Amino acid sequence: MKIKLMRKREGVYNEVRKERTDERPIEAATVPEYLVFPLNMHIGAPANPIVEVGDKVKIGTLIAEKKGNISANIYASVSGEVFDISDQPTVKGIAPCITIKNNYKEEWEEPFYSENDKLTVTQMKEVIDKAGIVGMGGATFPTSVKLSPPSGTRIDTLIINGAECEPYSTADHRLMVEHAVELIEGVRILARILDVNQVYVALESDTHDSAEEMKKIIDQEDHIDIVELETIYPQGSEKNLIKKLTNREVPSGGLPADVHTVVVNVATALAVYEAIHLRRPSIERITTVSGEPIKEPKNLRVRIGTPISYLIDDCHGFCTNPGKMIHGGPMMGTTINSGRIPITKGTSVITFLEKGEALRSDRTSCIKCSECLNVCPVSLQPILISQAYENGDLDKAERLGALDCIDCGNCSYICPAKIPLLDNIRAAKKEIRSRQEAK
Amino acid sequence: MVEKYEFDTNGLVMSPSPHLFSKRTSAWIMQQVIIALIFPAIAGTYFFGLKVLIMLFVGIFSSVLFEYLYQKISRKKVTISDYSAVVTGMLIALSLPVTAPLWSIILGSGFAILIVKQIPGGIGRNVFNPAVAARVMLKLFFSPWITNWVTPEPDVVATATPLESIGYFSKTVPEEIPDLWDLFLGIGLGGNIGETSKLAILIGLAYLVIRGIINLKIPVLYVLTVAIIMSIYGDFSFTYMMSHVLSGTLLFGATYMATDYSSGPLTPDGKTVFAIGCGMLTAVIRIVFNFPGGVGFAILIMNALAPTIDKYLAPRIYGHKKRILRNSLN
Ligand code: SF4
Ligand code: SF4
Repeated sequence: MKIKLMRKREGVYNEVRKERTDERPIEAATVPEYLVFPLNMHIGAPANPIVEVGDKVKIGTLIAEKKGNISANIYASVSGEVFDISDQPTVKGIAPCITIKNNYKEEWEEPFYSENDKLTVTQMKEVIDKAGIVGMGGATFPTSVKLSPPSGTRIDTLIINGAECEPYSTADHRLMVEHAVELIEGVRILARILDVNQVYVALESDTHDSAEEMKKIIDQEDHIDIVELETIYPQGSEKNLIKKLTNREVPSGGLPADVHTVVVNVATALAVYEAIHLRRPSIERITTVSGEPIKEPKNLRVRIGTPISYLIDDCHGFCTNPGKMIHGGPMMGTTINSGRIPITKGTSVITFLEKGEALRSDRTSCIKCSECLNVCPVSLQPILISQAYENGDLDKAERLGALDCIDCGNCSYICPAKIPLLDNIRAAKKEIRSRQEAK
Repeated sequence: MVEKYEFDTNGLVMSPSPHLFSKRTSAWIMQQVIIALIFPAIAGTYFFGLKVLIMLFVGIFSSVLFEYLYQKISRKKVTISDYSAVVTGMLIALSLPVTAPLWSIILGSGFAILIVKQIPGGIGRNVFNPAVAARVMLKLFFSPWITNWVTPEPDVVATATPLESIGYFSKTVPEEIPDLWDLFLGIGLGGNIGETSKLAILIGLAYLVIRGIINLKIPVLYVLTVAIIMSIYGDFSFTYMMSHVLSGTLLFGATYMATDYSSGPLTPDGKTVFAIGCGMLTAVIRIVFNFPGGVGFAILIMNALAPTIDKYLAPRIYGHKKRILRNSLN
């Protein structure tokens, strides 16, 4: 029980439910017969397919090419042949996908770049770009873009984000415990590319053992600080991490680079290591599958493109009927209703909730308890924005900072009156944005 | 093709995030306040006898009934199950002396629930704390009946509250004031039922804080402000300062009334200003006017100012340079 007199609370201490998987070693997931690669699995322009139905592919064959600056390459994660290119269900709705039929031969493509000497910084950035690495914490922003800040912007701090704050997620935690050496090597590469002296690896204090693993590996000259933060949601949000570690605030509507900082997820840092040292593109990731209905929750090393239903099988199915299937965690994830939806580069956790947990309670009147203000990590007044929206006063909602909301869900989570605050704020944001565009 | 999904996907709920919700409801919060009020209620029963239980029952029953009838008659959703009327009823009963007639409790409840709470729109929309408003109204207009009305029971004596014996503009503590320890425990005191035992109030406060219903900011700042002003005014006499802290409704009001959600400010900085304002007004009223009910007046005045305070002290949004300006909001 935390008793705070004056200090503002910057989130909620919601139930941590990591104990189900935080000590379970990463297992290899079943590699299915058909794998589905959504061309829009990253933020930005969808990739352009460069294979045709019937083409033979190997592990590491480029199947879709990045289109434009903000986009990413997509590689086959199994050997076999292109089975289909068509619209399929994905997390982002029905979207164009490449389906590959596995021939189970596990044939590897030649390394995706041949250079094996010491790479220059520019070459390393090119390799990361080519490898199709995107933010694996869920944001799926192309990493190479992050590593090339606009000229004139000086970066002095690199933050490696291992603060996985969603209740069930343990993929990053296991990665830090089991792959500390590779991870730190990836961090060194990133620090060299950005030419920074200050590196923080941030994680939550309930995952203490991962901090220990990494501290063992760090050299004197690394300038890497392992920082254990309070376990509080949304500790892992970029804006909060930057504030906690550097006391800098990203200006409203701005980017971390505006305050000389770059934030990279731990899984992304591992992918960077794999690209530079193992010469492997981004073809797999670690995903937690958890939630009360899951019979045997697990951390799985999954080939990109594996439909979720296979992971459920790897976890031996359900012990109770799930009420919700969530791509992501229960605070920020997206509900999905098809086992055919594939794991993509940004899938860090699949959460199942029981029927009872999945239903919302009836709304009552706001009792002005201030809790929504207390838990908002960006210091908004959620109830006022929500009221302004419900009164049709978009101007007021905008002045109250609706666009600064980071969608963390804390306000809706905590509200004792069960007012759908975030629903209203989201709707307000959407209308404000479309109004701005119309201008 | 990928046809491998055997589990029943029809039953899956699709909805926007968040997907988890805290178990707290408004009703649960009010239940916690009720539990916290039981401590002063027990102390009151111990010191003043079983009539206290009857008073509590009348307060609760009439408050709930008024709320029910109002909502039925005006065809609104009946919300008595949120327990807030129970809290109001308990607060009214506990903020009266044991000598108060039962009709005054009913009158107070009707005023609190109908005029102060329901007419402005019900829970969360009332500007004033219903129980405090009722208490002040009764003190103003029905004082003779409430304070001087002696019950037939022989053991109940209408003693003056220690505050009255301190006297206005007085800087010293007169002889007849009980010693501080008795003030703290509530031994041999007159006054309102709930405010008698400071120990019981502090237990209730601790309960509310541990349960996360309130934090210590408002009660501590409120009492501290009074203590500081009284120290300065009383030439730094510890006894004088403590007599003020431990007399009257200060601790009861700071714990159960100034922390009321609906009638207080929403913003963190607003709460600071609100608490200090309550403390300053209480001290001034006590020094200048010498009449009981200073705490009630102070809280009501700050209640009236709370919306304005909130407008000026909106939190600074992350990444913004300034607070949102008040005039940009209207
Ligand atoms: S958390 Fe809910 S009840 Fe409390 S102030 Fe915010 S909207 Fe009102
Ligand atoms: S307003 Fe937005 S940022 Fe603030 S708590 Fe609600 S969802 Fe989170």
